[in-house]
Amino acid sequence: MKTKAEMNDMNRREFLSTSAAVGGAMVLGFWVPPESAQAQAGAAADQAVRPEPWYRDAVVPEINAWLTIGPDDTVTIRISQVDLGTGVMTTNAMIVAEELQCDWSKVRSEYASANRDAIEKAPEWTLKVPGKGAHDPAGGGLPTELANEKGVYRRMGVGSSGNIREGRYYMQLAGAEARERLLLAAANELNVPVSELVAKDSVITHAKSNRKMTYGAIAAKAAQTPLPDPLKIKIKPPDQWKLMGTEQKNRDVPVKVTGAAKYAIDIRLPGMLYAAVKCCPVWGGDVKSYNFDAIKNRPGVHSVVRLPLDPKAKEALGRTTKDGFYSGGVAVIADSWWHAKTALDAMPIEWDRGPGGGVSSATLLQSHLATLHDAGKVIVNEGDVDAAMGHAAKLVEATYTVPYVRRARMEPGNATVLVTDNRVDMWVGDQQPQRSLEKAAMLTGLAKANVHLHLCYLGGGYGSSGNGPQAEHAVFIANAMRGRPVKTLWSREEDWGIGSTYSPLGLFTGKAALDAEGWPIAMDMHYCTTVGVAWPADSRGLAMPPYWVPNYRLHQHIARSHIPAGRVRSTGARHNTFYMESFIDELAHAAGKDPYEYRRELISRNPPENQENRFIGTGVGGFRYRDDWLRALDMVAKMSDWGKPLPEGWARGIAIDDRRRGVGRGTGRQGTICAEVHTVEVTKRGQVILHRVDVVFEQGFSLVNPLTVRKNIEGQIAWGFTDALYQEITIENGQGVEVNFDKYPVSRMREYPKEVNIAFLKTNKWIEGVGEEAIPTITPAIYNAVFKVTGKRIRSVPLKSHDLSWG
Amino acid sequence: MAFNLLVNNLQYSVDVEPETPLLWVLRDSIGLTGTKYGCGIGQCGACTVLIDGVAVRSCQRQAERAIGARITTIEGLSADGTHPVQLAWKEFDVPQCGSCHSGQILAAVALLSKRPKPTDAEIDAQMTNACRCGTYHRIRQAIHRAATLRG
Repeated sequence: MKTKAEMNDMNRREFLSTSAAVGGAMVLGFWVPPESAQAQAGAAADQAVRPEPWYRDAVVPEINAWLTIGPDDTVTIRISQVDLGTGVMTTNAMIVAEELQCDWSKVRSEYASANRDAIEKAPEWTLKVPGKGAHDPAGGGLPTELANEKGVYRRMGVGSSGNIREGRYYMQLAGAEARERLLLAAANELNVPVSELVAKDSVITHAKSNRKMTYGAIAAKAAQTPLPDPLKIKIKPPDQWKLMGTEQKNRDVPVKVTGAAKYAIDIRLPGMLYAAVKCCPVWGGDVKSYNFDAIKNRPGVHSVVRLPLDPKAKEALGRTTKDGFYSGGVAVIADSWWHAKTALDAMPIEWDRGPGGGVSSATLLQSHLATLHDAGKVIVNEGDVDAAMGHAAKLVEATYTVPYVRRARMEPGNATVLVTDNRVDMWVGDQQPQRSLEKAAMLTGLAKANVHLHLCYLGGGYGSSGNGPQAEHAVFIANAMRGRPVKTLWSREEDWGIGSTYSPLGLFTGKAALDAEGWPIAMDMHYCTTVGVAWPADSRGLAMPPYWVPNYRLHQHIARSHIPAGRVRSTGARHNTFYMESFIDELAHAAGKDPYEYRRELISRNPPENQENRFIGTGVGGFRYRDDWLRALDMVAKMSDWGKPLPEGWARGIAIDDRRRGVGRGTGRQGTICAEVHTVEVTKRGQVILHRVDVVFEQGFSLVNPLTVRKNIEGQIAWGFTDALYQEITIENGQGVEVNFDKYPVSRMREYPKEVNIAFLKTNKWIEGVGEEAIPTITPAIYNAVFKVTGKRIRSVPLKSHDLSWG
Repeated sequence: MAFNLLVNNLQYSVDVEPETPLLWVLRDSIGLTGTKYGCGIGQCGACTVLIDGVAVRSCQRQAERAIGARITTIEGLSADGTHPVQLAWKEFDVPQCGSCHSGQILAAVALLSKRPKPTDAEIDAQMTNACRCGTYHRIRQAIHRAATLRG
C-alpha cells in the first residue's frame, strides 16, 4: 500500500501499469496499453480537455484562481461547474477566454478544486454583480443563488439551469482581471503606459515602439502584479464579444468518442476494493437481519459494512447525513464488483420495511385527490371568483395527475474513495461538490481542508448526481476500510430504488367560467404536490398565469409521504406547465376557438408591458414580457405552418411557457420563454408518432455558445417525449416498482422526430437558463395534438396508460 | 479459472469465474473502462462491444462464451480516434454526457458494416441503444456522414 503522498505523486504510467495488474488480468506478449495510445492521440491534436479532467495544482504561473498561463502560452482555465453533458467545459472557458483575449486554440479546461473553494475566500472583486440587473446588457444579469457562495470559485453546484445566469459575470471578471494584470506587468516591463498597450490572441503589442510580448513571457510577472483597483474592472457587453456568442464544439467530445474519458465509474486505484450496496427498498426502512456468514467464503469476498438508517428518515422528516441514510442497508466488499454484487445478491437479508411499507401510488393518489376538495391554502386571490362563477355561460372543470418519475441517468451512482487518518480522496462525478466535501468531512470527522474531490466526467445528472447518498455511501464505506481505496457502485436497481429522490406525484383541478364568447371570466385552481420533505410547493406557472382572467384563485395543497421528493430536470414546471397548457387548450376547445389564437388573445388582453407592474393587483396577468411571449407564439405558429392541412391522423399541438413565471411571486425572476408546436400522428390503433417539432427559444441579449444550447434543446425533446409517453414510477408496498430500463423505458432513435426546427428569439434581457426550459411544454403540446386527432383529452401522464385508438 | 480472451487484437489471460459477464472482465480485470455499465440486463446498450463484428451487449455475454472470438471495444476501434464513425461523431459534436457513446459508436460500426449506406429506417431499426441526453438527432446525422467517410 502506498502512502498518500506517493499516491498523489504517482505518475500516469505507473498508475496505469499498476492498475492493469491489480485487476487480475495478465497481458500475454508485447502490447501497448490502450490508454497510452489514447493519451498520445489526445495530446496530438484536439485534446483541449484531458481524459482525467480533475484539478491539478499549478506548475506554471497562476494569474488568479481561475487560470494559469504556461511559457508556451497555454492557458488552463478552471471550470467551476460540473459538465453534465451541458458543455460547460467549453462554454465557461469561452467566457474567461473572451475577456482574457487569449488565443482560443491554446486554451485547456480542467475542473476547479472544491477543496480550494472550501479554504480560500472569494476575492472581493468577484462579489458584486456589475450593472443594473437583468435588463442591462453591460451588466452581470440577475444571479439569484450566490448569497452563500463565498468560496473562491463561488457557485460550484449545478442546478436550476444556472451556470450562465449565476456565473457569467464573475467568470468574465476573472478573465478581465488576468488580462489587466498581464497588461500592467507588460507596461512595467516595457516602461510604457498601460493605455498604449493592446492585448490580442495572447500577444501584447506596443504599437509606438513596435514591441510585442507573449502572455507566456509575462505570465510569471503578472502573477506577482496586483491591480491597484480591481473593483474597477468592467465586463464586455454582447456587442463587444468575439468568442462568446459563437458556436463552439464541446471540447470534451474527442475524449468521449475514444473511451478515454474517465467517469468516476472508471477509476481504478492500486489495492482498490469494490463495494456493492443494498438498502431497504422502502425509504425509512431498515435492515432487520442479514447473514454474512452465508457468503463470506464466496470468491473474493472481503467484508461487510452496515449502512445505518437516519432516525429522521424513519419519521419521514428527512435526514442529517451524520446519523445515517434514507434507508438502512448493507454493503458487501470484495476484490471485484461482480464478486461483491453476486455475493450480496446471495446474502440472506430481512428488511424492516418501516412506516412507509404499506403505501402505494394508488392509495396516495386517492387520498390526495380527496384533499383537492378542501380549500387548502389560498395563495392567490384576485377579484371575486365565487361571484364571477355565478355569471358563467359555460363551466369547464378538469382534473390532471402527474406521476412520480426519476432521472434515469446512464451512469449508476458511484464514487471511489480513499480515507486515511488525515485525508480523504474522492473520485466522483458530482453536481454538488461543495456539499459532498462537507458531508465527507462530517462522516469521517476530518477537516474540510483535508477532503479532496477529484471531479470526473459524469454519465448524466438531470438534478441528482452526487447530490445525495451516492458519495456519502462511498465515504461511509471507505471510512470503515481506512487505508484502502474502495469503489462503491450501485447496481442500476439500487440507483433507481432508493438511490436518490423522485420528482413528486402531482394533482391539479381547474374550474373555469367562460363568458358567452368563450373567454374566461374566472378560474379557481387547486394544485397538490406530494412534497416528501425539503421540496418547495412550487407554484410557478400557476401563481401568475400568462392568460388574462379578471378573477383568479389558486389553492395550494401539500400532501406528505415517506418518499423523498427532489429536483428532476424541469422541476415544478413539469407539473404546472402541463396543467396550465392543457387546461387552456380545453378552454379554447370549449370556446370553439383555435388554440393558438385563443392563447394569443388572452396573452394580449394583459395590460401592456410596464416595468413597474411585475404583477398587478387587479386580475392576474399583466407582465413585463407580454410582447415577447406574443412574438414567440407568433413565430412558432409561422414556423410550424400552423393551420395548414395535414394528413388524416396528424395534428399539431401548441404550448408556451417560461418555466419561471410566478416562482416566488414578486421576485422578478426572468424566465426563458419557450414556445413549441409538435406535429404528431396517432394511428387508428393508437400508436403515437412524433414527426416534427418546432421550437422558439428565447436567447435574451445573447447566448454564450448557441451550439450547446441547440444540442441541449434537441436532447430535451427526447427527454420530454419520453416523459409524455412512458415514464411513471408506481409505488407498491412503499417502494418503486420500475427500477430498471425494462419497466421504465427511455425513448430510442426510432422515436426521435425526423424534423426538428429550433429558432432563437432575441429579447432585451438576460434569460434565466437553457438546461431544461424546453421540456415543460412538450407533454401538453403532444397531448393537445393527440386530442385533436382522437378527441381524447388525456389528463394523466403518461400516454402509455391510455387507449388512443380512434376512428 | 484462467482463460484467454482476444480483445482489440491482443490476447489477455484472465482469471475469473467463466460465467462472469464479459462487461466486468473487460472493465475490472483487463482495465478497458471505455465499455460502460448501464443496466446489467441488456436493455440500455451502454456496454455494447463487437464480437466478431456483431454488436453485443456485453453485460449479457458470459466471458467463457467469448473465448476464441474477436472482441472489439471502443479502445480498439482506432489508435487515435480517427475511425470514420469517431470522426463523424466529432464533426457533429454528438455526445453530451457521453456515457452511452462507446456503445452507440460500436452499434453504428456494426450497422455500417452490414449496411454501408443505411437509410433512416435502417438506422431506426438497428440503433436501439438508449441515450438519456437524447442525442439521437446528431447520432443519425453522424451515421450518414460516416457512411460517406467510409467511401
